[in-house]
Amino acid sequence: MAQISATEQPNMKQVDLTTLNIQQLSTLKQQLDQELNLFQESLASLKMAQTKFQNSGESLEKISPESEGKDILVPLTGSMYVPGKLHETDNVIIDIGTRYYAEKDIGAAKDYFKRKIQFVTEQMEKIQFLGLEKSKIRDAIVEIVEMKLQQQQQS
Amino acid sequence: MSEDLQRKIQSELDSFKTTQKDLQKAISSRQQLDGQLNENIIVKDELEILPKDAKVYKSVGPVLIKTELFEAKQNVSKRMDYISKEIKRVDDVITNLEKKQDVHREALQKLQHQFQQAQVKAALHA
Repeated sequence: MAQISATEQPNMKQVDLTTLNIQQLSTLKQQLDQELNLFQESLASLKMAQTKFQNSGESLEKISPESEGKDILVPLTGSMYVPGKLHETDNVIIDIGTRYYAEKDIGAAKDYFKRKIQFVTEQMEKIQFLGLEKSKIRDAIVEIVEMKLQQQQQS
Repeated sequence: MSEDLQRKIQSELDSFKTTQKDLQKAISSRQQLDGQLNENIIVKDELEILPKDAKVYKSVGPVLIKTELFEAKQNVSKRMDYISKEIKRVDDVITNLEKKQDVHREALQKLQHQFQQAQVKAALHA
């Protein structure tokens, strides 16, 4: 797929924006707008994933060996709960993706969520950086289009 | 003459649009595969760092079934191989469709050019 970047990269052709005509520029702008939209969406879903991991990590803080045998309410559906007792409080089962679950002790589980949060945060930073770059290119394109339009009016 | 040309343009335009749709479909399935591959890579990494005696479960519908760690690893690798193959296949489809689209686009431009010329001629004769 075609890539647009402000910095030079291998396998990419450098194009002077001012040599393109208005039609080409608007196509380019459209493409960039689409990509920026995609970035916004990705950022939103990453933010959601981050919150989920944070919540799971926080719930782990509440579980300790002393909670063994304590009463809990287990949700069977969103609106129905049954009473239960906590059992085997030093291990939890974690969804690690693609329908696989792994049993971990509390320490390893906390570590897991910490790693996940870090991973997601890194991805978010990457996307933010890319988004900033692309929006800069987009601004440049808009500027050049305006310049060209003015030139057309004058002549 | 001009009706004939119009019909040609229409049919060319139709096939161009179909190719475009096919291309979009291929691209979105390529993106889906990419996501699946990434998810599997993450799971594989996670399985790799588990201790050998770790308990691993696989969810089948509403129940969790206990699996051996090596079996889970094998399964995930197999899935990754399959997905990588699928990605290669879809990539080929995409390149082919892109080529096809370019051919249609060129033909369309030629026809439009012809059409414009015919119109100019008709205007001169009138």
